[in-house]
Amino acid sequence: MKKTSESAAAGSGGNSKLHNTLVYFRQHWQLYVIFMLPAFLLTIIFRYIPMGGIAIAFTEYNPIRGIFGSEWVGFEHFRRFLSSPDFMRYLVNTLKLSVFGLLWGFPAPILLAFLLNRILSAKTKQKIQLVLYMPNFISVIVLCGIVRILLAPTGMVNMLLGTSFNFMTMPSAFRTIYIASGIWQGAGWASIIYTAALSNASKELKEAAVIDGANIIQQIQAVEWPAIKDTVLIQFIMSVGNIMSVGFEKAYALQTDLNLNASEIISTYVYKKGLLDGDYGFSTAVGLFNTVINVILLVTMNSLVKKMNDGKGI
Amino acid sequence: MASVQLNNIMKVYPYISGEDKKKNKKKNDNEPEKKINLQITDEGVVAVQQFSLDIKDKEFIVLVGPSGCGKSTTLRMVAGLEEISGGELIIDGKVMNDVAPKDRDIAMVFQNYALYPHMTVYENMAFSLKLRHTAKEEIDKKVREAARILDITQYLERKPKALSGGQRQRVAIGRAIVRAPKVMLMDEPLSNLDAKLRNEMRAEIIKLRKRIDTTFMYVTHDQTEAMTLGDRIVIMRDGYIQQIGTPQEVFNHPANLFVAGFIGMPVMNFFDAELKREGNEFFVVLSGVKVKLDEKKTARLLKNDVQSQPVTLGVRPEHTNISATGVPAKVDVSEMMGSSVHLHVDADGRDVIIIVPTLDMESSYNYGDLVHFTFSGNVAHVFSKETDKNLEF
Repeated sequence: MKKTSESAAAGSGGNSKLHNTLVYFRQHWQLYVIFMLPAFLLTIIFRYIPMGGIAIAFTEYNPIRGIFGSEWVGFEHFRRFLSSPDFMRYLVNTLKLSVFGLLWGFPAPILLAFLLNRILSAKTKQKIQLVLYMPNFISVIVLCGIVRILLAPTGMVNMLLGTSFNFMTMPSAFRTIYIASGIWQGAGWASIIYTAALSNASKELKEAAVIDGANIIQQIQAVEWPAIKDTVLIQFIMSVGNIMSVGFEKAYALQTDLNLNASEIISTYVYKKGLLDGDYGFSTAVGLFNTVINVILLVTMNSLVKKMNDGKGI
Repeated sequence: MASVQLNNIMKVYPYISGEDKKKNKKKNDNEPEKKINLQITDEGVVAVQQFSLDIKDKEFIVLVGPSGCGKSTTLRMVAGLEEISGGELIIDGKVMNDVAPKDRDIAMVFQNYALYPHMTVYENMAFSLKLRHTAKEEIDKKVREAARILDITQYLERKPKALSGGQRQRVAIGRAIVRAPKVMLMDEPLSNLDAKLRNEMRAEIIKLRKRIDTTFMYVTHDQTEAMTLGDRIVIMRDGYIQQIGTPQEVFNHPANLFVAGFIGMPVMNFFDAELKREGNEFFVVLSGVKVKLDEKKTARLLKNDVQSQPVTLGVRPEHTNISATGVPAKVDVSEMMGSSVHLHVDADGRDVIIIVPTLDMESSYNYGDLVHFTFSGNVAHVFSKETDKNLEF
């Protein structure tokens, strides 16, 4: 009897909550129309409707006939890609580039943020931040141009080393060039989010650590790292979720015929097949394969992190 | 346990750039009438100056004063968190001006507890000992002993977020006492607690002090805390020491008008009065009422060769009595406090507070009632109109 009355009370509580929400919505519907409707429509138009294009991956797509007029081939493109002799090379190149990129590139902005946080003068800090953020605004193509000039046989690097290597033709140098230039360009900008998170670290806590006798590393461990840990984890999960999404522009711009062994990755292959050869169905299938792997990695990493971090994740 | 000497300590916050200096100057030019409590010089903003104090071994010293008076800055200089701009800091006979905070053998309790949020209470308390490579058994013994003293043993495995404000402050104190520091520094440790908890924790600190037997420097803006905790109180204003003395001394013999107004609750009543010297006797005359000062006060005034002059007369509300004759006043507000009534009366345009014990009350007081008040000659404080100093000093 008691149980019944309790569940009835819970039920009526839920109903009244829904009723209150509806009343609130009716009273403030203008707010929803002005602020939420545009965002909702934009998301639908630009994020969900284009997903219909995934169907191209299952057709022998002909732009004149359209998606529904083209011949349905099922998983044929996927079978072709996975059984192609170059599939493993592209996959390994992509994974190596992104995994090494993550290993080297992910800690760089965090370290930079720790260093910036140690600068006491606000003005000096601002100036240094400005210098660090600037490379982010250089276009990828210009950046690749700079890299090519610096690494040319007669470029500055060779002049400093007293050598005349053509680094751009060396497959073994491609990944280092790609990752190092990425860190140079993006670490400063990526450090913003960590610098902001570090500003939440309590000043008193830091002073308490100083009095406790903590050195700089111990202060970072005890005060600063806990302040940014959650941000770092979320950024890490997001980065792992993008592990297969290596941007094609930079790899393509740094590519030469001689470094193809290391520089041909899935995205450059999709570009070449799709846009240069006009094999839209095949390139969409490869792109979709890429995305599915990303989603699997994102979900797996998120659940792993949640297990290790007291249930905190995305 | 150690003595602490602060010899002519000074703190100047230098300007970061010429721009700041200009800005401050411009601001001050525009607001000449606004009182600023920090002195602005060409070198920078002076937060503390001419601060000299000898703290005896195991003494409990309280620095008290309004916000911005430099009390926390002074404490932070002792802790090593602020650089000392001038003067000498000596702890246990050693000059500590340039010694790192960790090597000063001090511990500090902060206003906002400053507990590491990701560590348990046990880990928080053990942290400083771990950094000093103390043996595990020794750490465990010290942490559990401190937890027992502070009655937080049951919370050792909890994280700070699972504790109440009072419990967190106990942990913060525990973290400080596990190190058995030579000097314990406390920066407004009770400010974040509600009134009831503050009273409880105040009593806890008094008990704690007896148990751990070390030198304390305690900062507060609450004069009740200062009066109840301190062996001696240092009252500060605008970076300067106003008076140093035992709670009794500063209450009974305030050095100047500021101290007289700051110490005591409700605040001291001040009047424009006349000090009359008649041979070797002194009288204060207020609204035609003449009160003879007692022998001790007379002796001090004679020693200082004080002559007749207009003065600011100070009498505490608890020393002001309702009487049949005396200074006439009209009742404004009557506040029932339980054991006493705080009577706010208007005496010639001045708000005067009189504390009337409930037991002595013959009738209730209503708005507009005419009353008379008087005071004895042993509780009247006379301050110079020109310097605001107590003429007895």
